[in-house]
Amino acid sequence: MMSSRTPSMTIARLSALLALLLTVFAVGRAEAVEPQPFARGSWAELQARHAGQPTVVHLWGLTCAPCLTELPHWADLQRERSDLRLVLLAADPVPQPPVRVEEMLSRSGLDKLESWSFADRFNERLRYEIDPAWSGELPRTLLIDRDGTVTTLPGVADLGEVRAWLDRQRTH
Amino acid sequence: MRPSKMPSLLAFLVVLLMACAATAQHHQHGKPGAAPEAFTATPAFGPDGTLWLARATADRITVEKSTDLGKTFSEPVSVTPEPMNLDWGPDARVRIAADPKGGLIVTFAIFQDKNFNGRAFFSRSLDKGASFTPPRPITADTTSQRFETVAVDPSSGRVFAAWLDKRNGPKARATGKPYPGAALAYAWEDGDGAFGKTEIALDNTCECCRLGVAFAGPGRPAVVFRNIFPGSVRDHAVVTFKDPATPGPLRRVSTDDWKIEACPHHGPSIAIAPDGSYHVAWFTDAPSRKGLFYARADNGDVPFGAPRALSSPNRQPARPYLLSDGQALHLVWKEFDGNKSVVHWQLSRDSGRHWSDTRTVAETADASDHPLLVAHDGHAYLSWLTKNEGYRLIPLEDR
Repeated sequence: MMSSRTPSMTIARLSALLALLLTVFAVGRAEAVEPQPFARGSWAELQARHAGQPTVVHLWGLTCAPCLTELPHWADLQRERSDLRLVLLAADPVPQPPVRVEEMLSRSGLDKLESWSFADRFNERLRYEIDPAWSGELPRTLLIDRDGTVTTLPGVADLGEVRAWLDRQRTH
Repeated sequence: MRPSKMPSLLAFLVVLLMACAATAQHHQHGKPGAAPEAFTATPAFGPDGTLWLARATADRITVEKSTDLGKTFSEPVSVTPEPMNLDWGPDARVRIAADPKGGLIVTFAIFQDKNFNGRAFFSRSLDKGASFTPPRPITADTTSQRFETVAVDPSSGRVFAAWLDKRNGPKARATGKPYPGAALAYAWEDGDGAFGKTEIALDNTCECCRLGVAFAGPGRPAVVFRNIFPGSVRDHAVVTFKDPATPGPLRRVSTDDWKIEACPHHGPSIAIAPDGSYHVAWFTDAPSRKGLFYARADNGDVPFGAPRALSSPNRQPARPYLLSDGQALHLVWKEFDGNKSVVHWQLSRDSGRHWSDTRTVAETADASDHPLLVAHDGHAYLSWLTKNEGYRLIPLEDR
């Protein structure tokens, strides 16, 4: 299949180099997708960024054991549904090191997504901006439809409910 | 075909290299990954009216004292000789208690690992706070202890410690049984220097909420905690000891039916009045009952009365704290009004049957610790550490 010796060698070498670079790139990328610091005013910014697009904001925390169990299921759903616009928000009451948030998302297969992390110890204020009635329990999932209406799923989300919601967004 | 393909491949590699360099640089110059830090201050009055304040700041514990009701403080004395990985959880705090002889005991917990397994320590001062003994673990078991709480039995001066302990979890799981939560563990101080044998009062309590302790009589602590009832319902219960070695039956404070497979990080508070009545305040987020609630019981045997709501749930009511001081019962909690955190106060002079209107006693526009109550010589005070104002001891005047 190879027409001559020299070009195939070159291609083999290039492929090896490419593979190496891709590995470095992948690692670099995983590290690079650091969560954006979620501070006062960030909720409005996040909403504006996704305005008019049905969006799922999943609130989780490094200090929340059920959250860590749930995360890989969101990665599965993301693979299954190309129409899932998922944003992750680490809402630990005490801000966590961004590198650890990133490590956990990477381990759960969610490192390529838009991600934010609480970066202010005045968490009452951050929570109030998202939902005044939210007292901080995690996990929590916000389904935001095209016109900004929010459906809240407290606790570990029933992904069947999320799928049904996604289906409804399509027909509208 | 091939000659034209090669340069494009090379160009692609160059782009890749640049992308790598860019991401590496972004990473290098990103925000520093600061570790979370403990930020708590806990007060205790000594028998002579000295206010002792134990503080957890970043990775160390210190104690300072004030002889002018918190206006000025002494230089802090170190309890932790080395930096320690303090438990910075939102319901964890350093604790301090003064015994009737003026001795002090300080307790705190550290994280042993990245999975939030804790280790509880205590330290003693027998020289009026001039120095503290090197911290020692409260118990020999190394599985995990958190939310340790100490209280001095007023009748004997003996120190009682209770905490949430995970030692029974691995044992149960090894035999194939599930073990939700943690155990309520306790120990009594044995002399001035050590705690006696650890006992388990109860298994399967919620593992992530602070405990409350009050005394029902000599050698009879009462502990309030968030329990795990069947179906992962995380409601509150009280256990009152019949004697120092015999925890009594579990008494449910209220049936909120908050079913949640998660950690609320939000524990209760208890006070027992001189007439023997029990008073508990707690947080719940059940579908039918959300926010902060208070309930009372005439004594240690009868059921608790109907819960009374303290606040509207959309003001983030949090961290209730109760104190019995003579004939007065004080109750404080924290709310957020959209801009500021405020501490609200209610007072009862008839054993919790009737309460005063809610009064705001302090506020802050940034992060804050839990509001706590402390009393000496017939006067009660709010003790509150806030990021902006620092530490404040605020008299609760019955205006």
